[in-house]
Formats: sequence, structure tokens, C-alpha cells
Amino acid sequence: MSLTKRIDDLSSRRDIRSGWFGIITFFFLAFIILPTVYVLIYGITDFQNLSDTVLDDPETMSLIWGAVFTSFSLALLVTIIDLIVGVPMAWIMVRKEFRGKKLLDTLIDMPLAFPTAALGFSIGIFWGLPIDAPVPPGALGIIASPYILIMLLHIIFTYPYMVRSLSAILEQIDQSYEEAGMTLGASRMTAARTITLPLFRAGLITGFILCFARSLSETGGTFIALITIGQADKFFTGPTLIAWFKRSTLAPEEVEAILAVVSIILIVTAIIFLLIIKFVLGRINVPFDKVWPRWERVLSRGMVPKAKDAISFVWLFAIVIIPSFFIFAYLLVPSPAEMDWSGLINALSFSFMVAGVVTLADIVLGVPMGLYIARHRDKKLAQIIDSLVNIPLIVPTTALGFSLALFWTSQDLVTNITFLVIMAHIAFTYPLVVRNVAGAVMEVDPSYEEAARTLGAKPFATFRTVLLPIVRSAVLAGAILAFTRSLGETGATVAVSSEANTVPVYIVNLMNSGDYYLAAVSAMVLIMVSFVFMFALRYTIRRDGGGY
Amino acid sequence: MPRISLQKVTMRFGDIYAVRDIDLVIKDGEYLTILGPSGCGKTSLIKVISGLWTPSEGRVLIDGEDVTDVPIEDRQVGYVFQNIALFPHMKVAKNVSFGPRMQGKTTEEGKEIADRFLKLVNMLDRLNMFPGELSGGEQQKVAIARAMASGARLLLLDEPLSALDARVRMDLRYEIRRLVKELGITVIHVTHDQDEAMSVSDRIVVMRNGSIVESDSPMRLYRRPNNLFTAYFIGETNLLEGMVSDKDDRNILVKLRDGTDIKVGGNRHFNINDAIVLSVRPEYVYPAKEGLSAKVVQVIYMGSYWRVVTRAKSEDIVEYNIPKHHEPPAIGQELELVFNRKMSMVYRRPKEGISEAVRLE
Repeated sequence: MSLTKRIDDLSSRRDIRSGWFGIITFFFLAFIILPTVYVLIYGITDFQNLSDTVLDDPETMSLIWGAVFTSFSLALLVTIIDLIVGVPMAWIMVRKEFRGKKLLDTLIDMPLAFPTAALGFSIGIFWGLPIDAPVPPGALGIIASPYILIMLLHIIFTYPYMVRSLSAILEQIDQSYEEAGMTLGASRMTAARTITLPLFRAGLITGFILCFARSLSETGGTFIALITIGQADKFFTGPTLIAWFKRSTLAPEEVEAILAVVSIILIVTAIIFLLIIKFVLGRINVPFDKVWPRWERVLSRGMVPKAKDAISFVWLFAIVIIPSFFIFAYLLVPSPAEMDWSGLINALSFSFMVAGVVTLADIVLGVPMGLYIARHRDKKLAQIIDSLVNIPLIVPTTALGFSLALFWTSQDLVTNITFLVIMAHIAFTYPLVVRNVAGAVMEVDPSYEEAARTLGAKPFATFRTVLLPIVRSAVLAGAILAFTRSLGETGATVAVSSEANTVPVYIVNLMNSGDYYLAAVSAMVLIMVSFVFMFALRYTIRRDGGGY
Repeated sequence: MPRISLQKVTMRFGDIYAVRDIDLVIKDGEYLTILGPSGCGKTSLIKVISGLWTPSEGRVLIDGEDVTDVPIEDRQVGYVFQNIALFPHMKVAKNVSFGPRMQGKTTEEGKEIADRFLKLVNMLDRLNMFPGELSGGEQQKVAIARAMASGARLLLLDEPLSALDARVRMDLRYEIRRLVKELGITVIHVTHDQDEAMSVSDRIVVMRNGSIVESDSPMRLYRRPNNLFTAYFIGETNLLEGMVSDKDDRNILVKLRDGTDIKVGGNRHFNINDAIVLSVRPEYVYPAKEGLSAKVVQVIYMGSYWRVVTRAKSEDIVEYNIPKHHEPPAIGQELELVFNRKMSMVYRRPKEGISEAVRLE
């Protein structure tokens, strides 16, 4: 009897199915959720210790609060800017047909393919005033403020999330509503504002939360941009503070206490803040009723809409695309005579190994979970898991990494760095796979599976032969997203151990030791690798997407 | 051969009953239709029979054997879905051979079976097409072939035609009946379309609010429904309120609200002064010299006949038909109507009122 046949037969038994689901749930709760929030438990049990070493030290505390405040104000500002420039761009992508739309579509996703570590470097040398990194020709070098520099950086990698979530919702909103409004005498702008925008709320919340969480979480790019302009030890966000302390020469116990405090503050405030956003944005009632027919008519015609579209394009190129690609200008900088490639090769192979194992684990454990969430939406347990899955997406990855390492090492359970890095990466990539799969399965009519069952297919055979082929592209998309995110992640890795040698960490180390040229080359290699995967992703989705 | 019997089957979701205390026996080779308005529990009932759902209470027996706990895949029932549910990523041939393959047959055997059943539904030439390339009617034919190819002796049709165009729907329903009778398969067909139920079934089960109202052959249900709801739901009928004013051993006399007396055959179980509802189908209402006074409010051309809508003096709306080559009455014209005594049915007037008793949802 073949293996699949044996699994098919086993899957027919209810106790086996429950047992398998029990294992998946246990893994999720014990190895993902618990380690992610473990630092909160630690904060309660070791409160005395934290209080003595950190909380009572006004100097450290003001540093911490300052960094956390910077993080939140930055995330909020970045998200609002994204929203303002994102709405017109989403409109162009969904409601307009023009030549080169496919290209534009690719360009908008471009920042997703850039590992943030590479972006940070590129932004630092393009906008900033580097202290001693060689500057390729063409750099602007006009931004001295680290705050504005980091803001420009964060706008780049959050921009696609905002445009994507907004256009996803816009696509669902039938244009005939707007057209009906126009036949009733509303100008284009009035119709869009009073009819389509209020229907937008769901996309707004998703986009807002995605951008906000991503900005709050980002470590590698921010840290590298700050190193480039020589501010890494003066200007901090929450995550870079963790990265910085992790490398400091203070006593380990003291570092641990400080990092615990930063992580707790970040996790708690992030969760509270996102709950507030969800609550406020879901309920806020903007007075949409008032209409200014004359002004809105003027704004709907002539130059105004054209200017709005033009600004959207200029923004995309000047703020997002050109600064991102600027790192390739390093090819024009003369290279040093001697180059040591071995470090990069080691880091690359380590990164690939981690990302590969992580993706595999995500698929094996995440696909059944996504399936369960989608097919049992009426059950309490599924709803609870559905909300819990989002936690690792919201928690800043640096805090997550630290918490996770603390969990595993606290009882001397495991201290192997490779294992810890893999577990940390699974924690924040797992939701990507689960979300993708759950979303896709919800779209599939359950009668396909029911039909297969009535035709004699066992539960696992049904999954294998009917459901999986239908949602294959979503599984692949989730897997590739997880792979690239793992490949580009700095924060979680650094927080686990400053010795874990992934490519982004290797780049940070090179920057710190002033090895800018090699750092730039490594960043370019990382970008190219991510590009390959990103294009593979777009290819699979496009091929399957329009499908049947 | 399958003989299905349901014993006290109840399907409950929390406090809501989808079906309640259903007892039903389906004979071998019978074409049974479950007819009812949407939301009456008919789909829930066949989901329970198929095994897709496990009943909250009660048992399902196939050939005398309790299958309540037998998983779906081992029940050997064919299920045809309203939304067709052909696997979109498999070609027609692969869809049809899915069942045989799942039962461990070789690819060649599967292919052979698929060919045989596709030939039965005249779809052999669509073998290498994807479901998306077929029309709705063709897709449903393939879906039926797929359900039968799994070797099922019991076919469950869950509103199989409701997603199709009117013309295709008509053709396909006779084709299905021809096919299953040829193969001697037992069929349970769920529908809300009474024309469909009338024209294909050996027996119709009328359902409402999760319970069976009554079941009988199409002809009996149309001519002699036991229940006011059935009379209203199957075919068209005029409902007039009144009370029994007199009776002898062959007829009863019904007094309508304006005082007109109507003589109705049979119905000896009513007593004088019982509040009743009189049901007469339009084809059994005729204009005459003397009868119930009514005024024409609307005349509708139906193609093969004229439909005349009148408001009777008794405040009831009464409709009747006249042949297409006759001159229809003018709107506003006053006339007298009589009813076919044998084809008039009398029901006890429901406490909740007529409109509530025949409400569809």
C-alpha cells in the first residue's frame, strides 16, 4: 500500500483527524504564540529585577521612551502619507485602462522585493549625508535630519501594502454605484467621495494596520540608514534600540533587562494601538453627506484630475522607485583591490538554509491551519485562532525575536542559535501562509469538496486532488512571501543573537566595520535573489489567477 | 437495491431546526421529488441522506442498514449540486473518472467508465474540455454522468436545474428521468419549481418549515391535495373564505362572505357552521347565467388561453381561463361564475389566517 493511500485511509477516521489538528494547534500555541508573548510573562515574574536595573534608572528609561515615541509617531506619519498618496494610485490601478499598466503594477510591488537592509543603505546614500561611505554620482545628499530620512525609507516599503489593500477593496466595489450617482447628477468627484469612499473602510483598516505594523517593526533598513549617516548611536527607534543594545558591551544581565523592558513596551503598545485603530477607523463617521456641487464639479474637470494623476506618478518614481534602485549606482564606484567573498557566501548559504526550513515548516503546519480557519468559521475555536494568528504580524519582529530567544533559553531548553533563528522566522512568517491559504479556501465553494466526498474520496484524498490544486497558487504565494520575508529579515535575527550570520546581519556588520563597498555588493546580491523569487511569485499568480 | 428509510430525522443548528422529525421511506427505483419553498429544509434533508451532514437526532437506513455513522465517501450515493461543482482544474473525462479512481480502479478502467457514462448523456465529444468551456446545461450533464459513474445506485439531485436557462431546464429534466429509469437508479430530487416536480416525479414530498406537509403522486397532489398549503403551492388555485351552511350525505353547502351558496361534493367530515376555505383551480371556474357575482379587473393573454381576473362580490379574487379563440370579457364587465363541484376542495380555515397558512417563507 502506498503512503498516500495509507494517509487517505487514516484521514477517514475522525480520531485521527482530531489528533492531527490537535498537534497543529499545539504547535501554533506552544511554539508560536507563547514564545512571541513570553516576555510579558517574564516581565511579571521578574518585575523586581527589571525595576531595579532599568525602571528606576531615569536615564535609560528616557532613552527607551524616546525611542518608542519615535517609532510610533513615525509609523503614524508614514501611514497617513501612504494613505494620501495611496488612494489616487489605487484609483488609477483599478479604474483606468492604459498601456503599460502591467509595468506600473510591477513597479508598485518592487519595494516588496527589496530587502529592507538594502533599501536602508540605498536611501542613506541617496538622500542622506553619509559620514564616510563613498557616494556614487547622482546622490542628492540633502536630508540631514535622521527622522525625515527614516520616514522616507519607511514610506518606500509600506507604500505597496497601502496601494494593494486599497485597490483590493476598490476592485470589489462595483463601478455602477458611482455611475448611478453620476446619472443622478453628481460630479465625478462627488460620486467618488460620497459613494465609493464610504464603502472603502475595510480596505482602509487593512492598509492602515499593515503599514503601521510594518513601519513599527522595521529594524535592518532603519539601522543601516542610521549607520550610513553616523547616527546609529544617537537616534533610535524601538527596534534599533534593541539591535544597538544587543551589540553593546554592558553586562549580559543588564542588557537582558533593558531589552525585556523595550520589548514589553513595544508589544503592549503595539497591540493596544492597533486595537484602537481598528475600533476608531471602524466607527468613525466622517460627515460624507455635505456636498459642494460647484466646487466639486470644478475639481472633477479639466486640469485637476490630470494633475492628481501626475502627482501620483511623480511620487511613485521620485520617492519610491529611484531612491530604491540608487544602490546600483555603486557599480560606478571603483572597487577596492581585494575582496573577500567567503563571508558573503557563508551568509548566503545560512540565509537560504534558514528560509528554506522556515518555508517548509510554514507549509506543513500552516496550510492545515488555514484550511481549518476557513472551513470552520462558525466555530469559536477557529475564530479565536483566526485572531491569534495576527499577533505575530502586529508584534514588532525585534521584540518577537527577543521574547522567543528568552523563552527557549530561559529554562535552558535550547540554546542552539540556528534553531532559535529558525523558530523566530517561523513565528513571523507563519501568519503569511495561514492568511493566504485561509483567504483562498474561503473563496472556494465547499461543494467541490462535498462532491469529491460523495464520489468516494477520503478526506485527505479530497484535499490532495481537489482543494489543493484549486488553491495551489495561494499556497505558493504564501510560501514565496514567507521565503523572501525570512531572507530579508534583520530585526528578529539580531534580537535572537548578534552572532547569527544571515545576509542582512552580515551587511549590518560590514557597515559597522566600515566595509561599505562589500556591504553594497552584498545588498545588491540580496536584491537580485529576492527579485528572482518575486518574479516567480508574480508568474505563478498570473498563470493561475485568471484560470478557470 | 437501495431502499432508503428515514426515522425521526432531525437536523438542528443551535435552537434552529432545519428539519424536524422526518419519517420517510423511499422505494427502490423510485423517482422522488422533495418540493418546497426556499428555506423549507429540503436541502438540509438530502445533505443528511447523503451523509454530508450527520443528523442531530434520528437514523438513516439504506437497505435496512443504519448508515447514520457511515462516512460520506463509503455511502455510494451520487450527489448533483445546484452550482454544478465540476472540479475546475480537471478535464471532463477526469472529472467523470474521479469516482472510479477514488475507489481504486486503474486509470484505464476509469477512462472506460467515463466514456460509457459520457456517452449516456451525449457528452462524449466534450471529453477533453475543461468545465469552464462548456455551457451550463452541458456542465450539469457531465456532473450527472460523474455522479453515476461512481457506481451510485442512489442519486441525489440538489436543485440541479435552477442555475440553467428555462429552455435548457425543460429539456434536461426529461433527459434525467429517461436516464435514471433506464439505469434503474433511485432518485431524490430537491426543487422549489413545482412544474419540474410535477413533470418528472413518481412521487412528490411537499415540505414546509422543516416538516413534511404531505406526499403523493403528482396527479393526486394536484387533484386532491390534503392540505391547503399543497393546494396553493402546487399549481394555481382560487381560495375563497366561507362557512358550512348545510350538508347531506353526498354534498356540503358552503356560504361565502356575500351569502352566495356553493355546493361542493364529498367532504362529509365537516359540520354545519365550520369555518372553511374553498379551493378551486382556475380551469374549474366557468362563467354562467347564475352563480357568484364578480367584476372583471384584469384580462391577461397567456398564449394558449386567456386568464381573466375578477373580484367577486364576496371580496375574494377569483381567476378563470377561457380558450384563446374566444372573445375575452371587457374590464369592468360584471358576470356570474360557477365552480366544478367535484374539483372543488374544502379545508378547515386555519387559525392563523389564510395568508399566514400559505406563506412561502
